[in-house]
Amino acid sequence: MDPTHLSPLQMDALGEVGSIGAGHAATALSQLLGTAVDIEVPVIRLLPVAEVPTVLGGPENLVGAVYSRLLGDLSGALLFVQPRKDLLVLADLLRSREPGTAKSLGASEEGLVVHAAGVLQSAYIAAIARLAELAVLPGPPQFAFDMIGAILEFVTIEVGMKADSAILITTRFLATETVVDASLFYLPDPDSLDVLLGRLGIV
Amino acid sequence: MTPAADMGDHWRQPDKNTLLIVTGELAVGVHPQVLVTPALGSCVGVTLWDAFQRRGGMAHVMLPSPSDSRSQGLADRFASVAIPRLAEMLAQGTSTRRFVAKIAGGATMFGNDGSVSIGSRNVAEVKRQLALARIPLVAEDTGGAHARTIELHLDTGLLVVRSYRFGIKDL
Repeated sequence: MDPTHLSPLQMDALGEVGSIGAGHAATALSQLLGTAVDIEVPVIRLLPVAEVPTVLGGPENLVGAVYSRLLGDLSGALLFVQPRKDLLVLADLLRSREPGTAKSLGASEEGLVVHAAGVLQSAYIAAIARLAELAVLPGPPQFAFDMIGAILEFVTIEVGMKADSAILITTRFLATETVVDASLFYLPDPDSLDVLLGRLGIV
Repeated sequence: MTPAADMGDHWRQPDKNTLLIVTGELAVGVHPQVLVTPALGSCVGVTLWDAFQRRGGMAHVMLPSPSDSRSQGLADRFASVAIPRLAEMLAQGTSTRRFVAKIAGGATMFGNDGSVSIGSRNVAEVKRQLALARIPLVAEDTGGAHARTIELHLDTGLLVVRSYRFGIKDL
């Protein structure tokens, strides 16, 4: 499917799918951290590829990102993105330490965040898969710390969004007691949008 | 201060001499303009420079050729389209013999699953197109697993490559 031809109803349906995934991912994060987690209403965006790198504060913004490719009935990718400061706070919370303890982004912080992001991504996609009665699994999560523009650009090309527009379903999480900002992007492969929307009966 | 902290904000408030090239586009400029393209991942930034006229061009290519994409749209996204077009725009009907090329990008941002990455395919196609156009490739900073921002200075032909991992590199 050409994502530029999505009807408003289909866009709404994808937004709803994003909400369901986000709700489950937030529950998972809240259980991991033992604190309440807020989510923002997922934003669904259809962007020309030239504008993809400008989301999240500009192409050169440095972020930690965990990327999982989807395997199974749906193809696409999940991308968990955090600014460096929030990434360190998340690592502290996962180790039950005072936020601000971790000062540098080492292998252990990276490992913790990758695992947490993997859990979130699994919860997110499992909820969508259950809703649509599809078999979908996230692939092994991979980590990078670099410019957001390059990361998003790489992922949009990798998942097969070779058209000149890309579809991004974004959720922001905020842990309430300590502010931890994180975003989760769902980048569906345009071809698998047909499968997902077909399963939901919105063609 | 990390090298990244003083990375410019060209994409946000380009000054009048900064020519910003976004993903899938190309442009030609003349000194004192500076051509900039931010955050190259698997994409490749291709620059051509004419020392005599102090003019140059830059393209930000995403994919090797139109056969890699279903929808056509912006044709300048493809190396096989963008490079001949860039050479033609820069030459303005005159010879391309003075041109020299420098390229950067073509990284694999996340661990590779063993298949040939888009980044290395992009680099290979860019080199093939430059060879076809008989433009010598005088410098490159390609591959790896890190993002790059590039700036082409048209008075000296200097290509400045900035990355979080390696700071500032002059090509």
